[in-house]
Amino acid sequence: MAERASDRLLRLLGMVAYLDRHGGVPVEAVAEQFGVSTDQVMADVDTLWVTGTPGYFPHDLIDFDGDSYDQGVVRLTEARGLTRPLRLGTREAVALVAALRAMDGALHAALAPAEQAVLRSALDKLTAATGDAASAVDVRLAVDGAPEVAAAIAAALRDRRRLHLRYVNASDVATERDVDPVRLVTDDDRSYLLAWCLLVDDERLFRVDRVLEAVVLDEPAHDHDVPERADVYRPHGELVTLHLASRARWVAESSPVEAVRNLPDGTFEVDLLVEQPAWLRHLVLQVADDLVEVRPARIAAEVAAAARAALVAYEPLGE
Amino acid sequence: MPPQIPAHERLLNLVIALVNTSGRMTKEQVRRSVAGYQDAQSDDAFERMFERDKDTLRELGIPVVTVTSAGHGDDIGYRIDLDTYALPPIDLTAAELGVLAMAAQVWQDQAMRTDTTRALTKLRAVGEAPEANDLAVGLAPRVRAAGGALAPLVDAVQARQAVRFTYRAATTGEVRTRTVEPWKLLARPGGWLLVGFDRDRQASRSFRLSRIEGGVRLLGAPGAFAAPTADELEAALTQWAPREERLAVLAVLPERASALRARAVPAPEAGPDWAADPAVGPLLQQRDLVHVPFRSGWELADELVGYGGAVLVVAPVELRRGVLHLLRTAAELDRPRAEDDAEGRAHG
Repeated sequence: MAERASDRLLRLLGMVAYLDRHGGVPVEAVAEQFGVSTDQVMADVDTLWVTGTPGYFPHDLIDFDGDSYDQGVVRLTEARGLTRPLRLGTREAVALVAALRAMDGALHAALAPAEQAVLRSALDKLTAATGDAASAVDVRLAVDGAPEVAAAIAAALRDRRRLHLRYVNASDVATERDVDPVRLVTDDDRSYLLAWCLLVDDERLFRVDRVLEAVVLDEPAHDHDVPERADVYRPHGELVTLHLASRARWVAESSPVEAVRNLPDGTFEVDLLVEQPAWLRHLVLQVADDLVEVRPARIAAEVAAAARAALVAYEPLGE
Repeated sequence: MPPQIPAHERLLNLVIALVNTSGRMTKEQVRRSVAGYQDAQSDDAFERMFERDKDTLRELGIPVVTVTSAGHGDDIGYRIDLDTYALPPIDLTAAELGVLAMAAQVWQDQAMRTDTTRALTKLRAVGEAPEANDLAVGLAPRVRAAGGALAPLVDAVQARQAVRFTYRAATTGEVRTRTVEPWKLLARPGGWLLVGFDRDRQASRSFRLSRIEGGVRLLGAPGAFAAPTADELEAALTQWAPREERLAVLAVLPERASALRARAVPAPEAGPDWAADPAVGPLLQQRDLVHVPFRSGWELADELVGYGGAVLVVAPVELRRGVLHLLRTAAELDRPRAEDDAEGRAHG
């Protein structure tokens, strides 16, 4: 897709301000600074060279040192008043500061002290430059799992080392395995470790709050071919439909659902793909109060039987 | 015919012209003198082009101000206000720029992503060197997409402008229009929330962004309501603040619930002697006593019910009642009403 004119304009303005602060800069370095190709930088310089104040005579235009440019170095000689970097828009400042604050709160255990200091100084500088704009939004990311587990995962990621995990799955079965960590994904609900699992020789997402123990091994982690979107959980398995009262709307909001259908009486149906029966049974137990129907119906029988067995176990404790 | 001037070039010419103008430029002057506007085929086409460009500049944070001149009636001119144009003095190291690039990736919403990408482009102009991405290798913090309502709500909170939206109440499923003075947006486990003053109810309320149906409309002028006092805001946020920590005492079958055991703390020294308790003591012949700290009773009850009879709540009793309630309701799931029974057979 072609770049939007507004995005291109922002980069052109940014480039002038940047070049004004830096004297001569090689084309490659400008490209790296703004995350674009050298061809794009040259196209941008061509545009800048023909823009200026009305009249558009040579002295009206943004100008570069032609000799330097022939040698691949961009040296700005006339900025036409655009030397100052553009301020951040309100929403831009809010979004960045809120994200930095959230990272500061949640990634503490995962960052080395020097990294924490960089995060803090970026936050301080940005807050100073934007005022208190960011109080509009407060993002809190999940802080999951034991601190020593988070620290071990972070160390393994940083040093590119293999990890030994003791992990318990949704069915309450604990296993031991070695993994090559790829990414620690922290969202507002949970933290997940995306890793290549040597036990199954495939990529797996591990919930950090279910990692019982993580040990950094001496072995280096190997590189694996992991798809970009592998850190988004996509279940496969049986299609199950829950028909729920409105109060249980959180199910549609917190589970990976395939479809939601709002019904005229205020109830709704969600379709779920269920990979782990234990996970579904747990979900049905939680929403039993608001469950109108579950399809297939055998699931209701399974859950009811499990609940009755649990009630028997509770008998000695009374109410 | 001269070759058409592309939009980004026309926009840049407009910025330079409005930055350098001695006083102001009228629309007519822009049309005559700024390169790019001569391409407009008609008055209407020019009007549309100029209005759109002005909007684009303002959206990017470029302060295009209107200047009316005394004695010229409706003769409106424009300039860019250089005093508010610039970022306050700031220098960023490569590592700091790297952290900011990571922060820009936190947002999953398209609108917020656009904002953070723009912010990053602006900040790169004051970066010493290209961003260093080696900082937090392998960390991917992110906040879930909040949907189309988030960006207009951020604007409204910032501008102190009331909003109107259609909202589906969770308790009843009722869909109603709500008019709200927005105070603050919160991302919390469980989703995005708007906290504000509900004008119809005349009280502070929280709204889940996921239950807003359709668009959010901004009402009236900016600055239309006073920002909440610290006390008002705190009172409205109390229900989203972390609760005091309490201790659950659980009787767990051997080898089970290792995720719970991993969070366990030692038994408090001054705690009751459960082994001597007539009801609990016998259970401990086959079960381990595990002490788990918690803040939200219903969250823990939701978690514990998944273990069925493998984990029994010894204390506190409210937590046990919570779990028992869920179990008793679930125990009735296969004894439904007559029509469901028929359906059950059809599926069976």
